[in-house]
Amino acid sequence: MRFLIIFGYALLAGLPLGWLVLTSLKPVAATTSTSLLMWPGIDFIPTLAAYGDLFTGDFPRYLGSSVVIAVTSTIATVLLGTACAYGFSRFPLAGSKDWLFFILSTRFMPPLAVVAPVLVMYRMLDLPNTHLGLIILYTAFNLSLAVWLMKGFIDDIPRAFEEAALVDGYTRWQAFWRVIVPQARTGMAVTAVFCLISAWNEYGFAMTLNHVHAVTVPVWFAGLQGNVQGVPWPTIAGGVLVFVSPIIVFTVLVRKHLLRGVTFGTVKG
Amino acid sequence: MRHRLGWAFVIPTLLFLIIFNVFPLISSVVLGFTNSELTGGSWEWVGGRNFSRVFNDPKYAAAVRTTVLFTVVAVAVELALGFILALALHRDFRGKTAILTLLLIPMMLPPAVMGIYWNFLFDGDYGVINQVLHAGGLLAPPQWRTDPGLKLLAVVAVDVWMWSPFMLLISLAGLGSIPKHLYEAAEIDRASRWMVFRRITLPLCAPLLGLAALLRATDALKQFDLVMAITGPNDASTQTLSTLLYQVIFSNQRVGLGAAYACVVLVLVIALAIGVTRALARMRSANAGQAV
Repeated sequence: MRFLIIFGYALLAGLPLGWLVLTSLKPVAATTSTSLLMWPGIDFIPTLAAYGDLFTGDFPRYLGSSVVIAVTSTIATVLLGTACAYGFSRFPLAGSKDWLFFILSTRFMPPLAVVAPVLVMYRMLDLPNTHLGLIILYTAFNLSLAVWLMKGFIDDIPRAFEEAALVDGYTRWQAFWRVIVPQARTGMAVTAVFCLISAWNEYGFAMTLNHVHAVTVPVWFAGLQGNVQGVPWPTIAGGVLVFVSPIIVFTVLVRKHLLRGVTFGTVKG
Repeated sequence: MRHRLGWAFVIPTLLFLIIFNVFPLISSVVLGFTNSELTGGSWEWVGGRNFSRVFNDPKYAAAVRTTVLFTVVAVAVELALGFILALALHRDFRGKTAILTLLLIPMMLPPAVMGIYWNFLFDGDYGVINQVLHAGGLLAPPQWRTDPGLKLLAVVAVDVWMWSPFMLLISLAGLGSIPKHLYEAAEIDRASRWMVFRRITLPLCAPLLGLAALLRATDALKQFDLVMAITGPNDASTQTLSTLLYQVIFSNQRVGLGAAYACVVLVLVIALAIGVTRALARMRSANAGQAV
């Protein structure tokens, strides 16, 4: 009974992803056929043409934008977030609890509810349709997660480590860089993965602020909706697959820390 | 001195959040009292006119209904499905970690992109879902993308596919935290399996399940990506608050009016966010207690 539930669900939930792989290998005509074409080699002849089209077209450019924006904002978020978490973890700051909750509350803001004032502000600063504009917004959006996750990880590092370093004549700043940062490496890597995926997947800000230049992959995909005739389904499927495969790899890498990641570090698996 | 040093570590983050988060929030309220347009140009103060329009707009009322309906149905189904899966996955078996990791993948995927791919699966003519239903003997399979009654269901279905794993993950943590001796005591008392479930398993998991439902609900209330991908922003049967905001600000180009809509949405979100932060705080102190 247990195995029936587990494997039944796994099969059902996994099918869309399996079908994605299959679709990307089909010739265009096979994807708009009204009959069920399942078996490569029998129902259709598998081809890699979709991937060829994908990489000779505009896709690499959008992928480049996505990489630049997600990676830069992740680095900024993890650096700022780690320093901030260290401050709250090790110093008895006035109102630290309230500040931490203020930081967390920024996570719940719907992008579409603040996009109007952001757009007005960005126009004054010339930031719409730039990499920098989205990098700033993604950093602001992910900081809450980074601070809370990193606080959990840094709280776990014994204070004795830095105290020994301070006795040895390190300054606080040196102790932070040479003791805490190396000790918190796993935590920083996990935090980076979550920030990276969240920036990689973001759509609301990306589609409203960057639709001309520095367009990210999700916005490009959404734009294809209107002209599906222009870009055939195998190419779209291949693009989706290429775009989500790093996420799948990263998810497998941080599998032990997923629980921490989705509960802001408050539930430790 | 010590404290000043501590502030030096946290102030960059706080400043960043105040500039790019609090400031837009406040300016949203200010913008709500103007007639600014997307194209820029001159604008005037219009007093509370935008706000009274929000409350008289039947589209707004419909969007609130759709958003709440979507949130309640999606979160309830995800919670039930995730908890059942967790009960099935709770005991150890070979390959459990691998299966669990595979099951969790959909929640990490980009909804905007997956939504577009799901359109392909939902298609009435060449979509694989209907082809399978047809092969299974259903002669007139449902038209997921055109039937007004089914469109919201399609959005819910994709959301359930993406987020049931999230509920599974948190439910597993809940089941894992129940002390074994409680089950042993129940066995000595010869309690029925149903009694054990009702008196031990469910109540002890409840706090974590509540947290999971709250976290998901704050997310579901923002629902934008899937609706945009599956039906577009202006479909009467699926228009959520976020897509209504999009429609007002970007299609109708009314920035001032959109800001007024946003303020009303924010009140809802803030109320829920307060609930979530409280629940997370309780969770943190409970965990800290355990560690001692």
